[in-house]
Amino acid sequence: MSENQEKKVHGIVAEYESVDSLLDACRRVRDAGYKKTDAYTPFPVHGIDKALGIKPTHLPWIVLVCGLTGTATALLMQIWMNAIDYPYIISGKPFISLPAFIPVAFELTVLFASFGAFFGMWALNGLPRFSNPMFTDPRFDRVTDDRFFLYVDSKDPRFDEGSVQQLFNETGGQHIQSVIDDDSSSKIPKPIFAIWGLIVAFSVIPLLIVLKMRVTNSSSPRFHVFYDMDFSPAKDAQQGSTLFADGRAMRPDVPGTVARGEVGQDMNFLTGIDMEELDRVDSPRAERLVNTHLNPLVPQDPDGNDDDEATSPEVSAQAEAAQEPSVMDTTPWLKENPLDVDRELLALGQQYFGIYCSVCHGLNGGGNGLVNRRARKILAQSWIPPSSLHQESLYEDKYPDGKLFNTISNGIRKMPGYASQIKARDRWAIVAYVRALQMSQNASIDLVPQDRREEILERQREVEQKLEEQAEAERKAEEERAKRAGK
Amino acid sequence: MSEHDAPTVKTADDPAFQLPASLAALSLPLCLGGLAALVVGWALGHTVNASFGMAAYLTALVYCVTLAVGSLFFVLIQHLCRAGWSVVVRRIAELIMIMIIPLAVLFIPIIASLLFGEGTLYRWDDPNYAVDNHLPMAAWAEKTRWLTPGWFTIRAIIYFAIWSALALYYYRGSVEQDQTGDKSVTDRLQYWSGPAVMLFCGATSFAAFDWVMSLAPMWFSTMFGVYLFAGSVLAAHCLLAVGAYVLQEQGALRDEVTIEHYHDLGKYMFGFVFFWTYISFSQYLLIWYGNIPEETEWFWHRQLGSWGALALILIFFHWMLPFLGLLSRHVRRNPTLVFGWAVYLLLMHFIDVYWMIMPETQPVEGAEYASMGGVFGVVSSMLCAGGMLALLTGVMLRVAQQTRVVAVQDPRLRESIAFENI
Repeated sequence: MSENQEKKVHGIVAEYESVDSLLDACRRVRDAGYKKTDAYTPFPVHGIDKALGIKPTHLPWIVLVCGLTGTATALLMQIWMNAIDYPYIISGKPFISLPAFIPVAFELTVLFASFGAFFGMWALNGLPRFSNPMFTDPRFDRVTDDRFFLYVDSKDPRFDEGSVQQLFNETGGQHIQSVIDDDSSSKIPKPIFAIWGLIVAFSVIPLLIVLKMRVTNSSSPRFHVFYDMDFSPAKDAQQGSTLFADGRAMRPDVPGTVARGEVGQDMNFLTGIDMEELDRVDSPRAERLVNTHLNPLVPQDPDGNDDDEATSPEVSAQAEAAQEPSVMDTTPWLKENPLDVDRELLALGQQYFGIYCSVCHGLNGGGNGLVNRRARKILAQSWIPPSSLHQESLYEDKYPDGKLFNTISNGIRKMPGYASQIKARDRWAIVAYVRALQMSQNASIDLVPQDRREEILERQREVEQKLEEQAEAERKAEEERAKRAGK
Repeated sequence: MSEHDAPTVKTADDPAFQLPASLAALSLPLCLGGLAALVVGWALGHTVNASFGMAAYLTALVYCVTLAVGSLFFVLIQHLCRAGWSVVVRRIAELIMIMIIPLAVLFIPIIASLLFGEGTLYRWDDPNYAVDNHLPMAAWAEKTRWLTPGWFTIRAIIYFAIWSALALYYYRGSVEQDQTGDKSVTDRLQYWSGPAVMLFCGATSFAAFDWVMSLAPMWFSTMFGVYLFAGSVLAAHCLLAVGAYVLQEQGALRDEVTIEHYHDLGKYMFGFVFFWTYISFSQYLLIWYGNIPEETEWFWHRQLGSWGALALILIFFHWMLPFLGLLSRHVRRNPTLVFGWAVYLLLMHFIDVYWMIMPETQPVEGAEYASMGGVFGVVSSMLCAGGMLALLTGVMLRVAQQTRVVAVQDPRLRESIAFENI
């Protein structure tokens, strides 16, 4: 006992032979008012929490907080990544697309909650701990076998060695002992530190490699960790493929189907021709147009007179236009744009006109686009100047909307057809915009709404003034030159 | 080994094991009232339109079937894993599960509407359905090989035969043990529980495809059976808690069913609330992400008008609220709260079934097609469901009178009474 006095007494332990005697002792200890107690048994004992007066654990709260943190982390992370830091549309969904975020949120909730449960349990139990003074006594080994132990900690405010021993005695506890540290050193052996140091050092290496790669240049090819993420197996436009008989990766519309957004686009809409009228005046041609539309990949009957090369209604119309110009006049073109012409449609038309038409026809449709100017400059022999869109013969009364649509679709003279590049709806938008352009050149000021008229007249005056100034300056420069030449 | 002293098991003839007289007296009124409500409900639905009345009837039927087969599953699983805790409440589940036999009789009107109705309830039975809806004939030809009235009827008979056979086998075994105390009965029931669960899964899954999914003939979801099952097993646990609570209120099982059993039932309710959410969201997520018209159609119809409101109710009140409400151990260890949540979840499960079935009723004349058939429609649906529930409860009480409300000779009864959660 003299030895024990020098060492710190952690508490007092007693041994019991049966569960019932242990439970009885637990209740006595609880009723005596001890709080810092513990019982050790070879198997879980129902009701021992109550017998020892152990309060329910706080662990569920830790788990709840961790779980909610996981949910919040997952949602914020995905919103930040996909909607703020690198906005990226995936599968046509919105940037912040809750259903798609739920699986990750679910997983992180579970992960964080599990970590919370695992490490929270450690923290509440004071783990990790390399040794426990309970193990000092060899008798305690039987706790995994056939003995039950009850322990009162010396930190308990009511702790008093004598009274605890007496209580244990009364409840039939045997081998009542003070729990003390054993004689071995409590210091951690040096090699352990060396091993830890090595592990930490090695684990830093991959991170260092990554960091070095981020800040230095290298002439060797990039190392692809995830090859198929760097090189997507998806095909690009115009690439070949061995998967389909025609060798193309891009697929044409399946015959008999209507693409999204093109519902309601009938033959009239796609050709600019009043098909019912055409059927009356030239039934075989109407039939041909419909057939080529239905089966664009199947060449039409080669005996079918004038368009044996026709593979699409547009091309057939073009062929007719080239060989029999009169067809252009006899065709019953649509007189009106089938779309509702509004500001939005005109803006669309302006956009497409700017992209496709203005390079030749000029931004104002006057026929003096960049390509035309360049061709003039280099005196290209075969160049046929593009038409000005402001000739009277191209006005609505002489050149119906349908005919203009057909020209855009299939081309005329040197102008190629744009049917394959511009969607039918957008071509109609261009038609509407061209009409607006034509109107803009010869419009009367009366067409402008009253409230904006003044503004336009103001600008007109400004422009005229500038033109006058310019003319004045030119005249002066001319005079100067004449004077100098005169000298 | 317990805080409590070893439990005393009362003798088999103790009044605590008998159906209380106050409940037994309800049997006849419930039967008659339920039948009347069912007929009135169906007739009221019929005034909305013929398909609406049958759909309201089908909703009530599917709701009751999910309760019965959910209880059957509970019993099978207890035998499969040789559970001890559940013995005191297992007889309640056994009494619910044999209601599958009266349900088979109640299914006859569905068959009749199919054989004589030409698309009243199931639109695939309408000979003009494919033409009217411009369906691809090749796909339709394949569909109609499975969806024919005759084959549908045969399959329904097979499902009911499987369920009834399993329910009767397990019910009779348990009741027989009440008399003989023969422990080998338990061995026999456990031995067959594995194959029984497999049979059960097949029948339940295909019944969900046939009876509910085929209401939208061109729509398909391979996990639809699991979806209906998830709600079914949740509702069965809720009904067990309700049954135990009501019996205790009326004086039976007061010493047998303890807080520990409510705690366990509460845990299962909590778990299956999330299981239902997990399954129904998985089904939704894949279809939403794929965004293919033929698949999204089903959810699209259920997001319009009042159905959209129900869909939101399912998210917030079939998942979020009970999930948070049942999260705490203190709630699950309070029998009154467990009972309250159980009743609440049974109502939510009805909304779930209602939301699955009713949007497929054919357009209501003069109203937006997404409506619930007006006041008459809603009242009709409630009368049908309430009536069928009352009718089946009445029948069940009548059966319960012939036997006991606990498996008195089960070898694990003592273990179950002494059961404690760690």
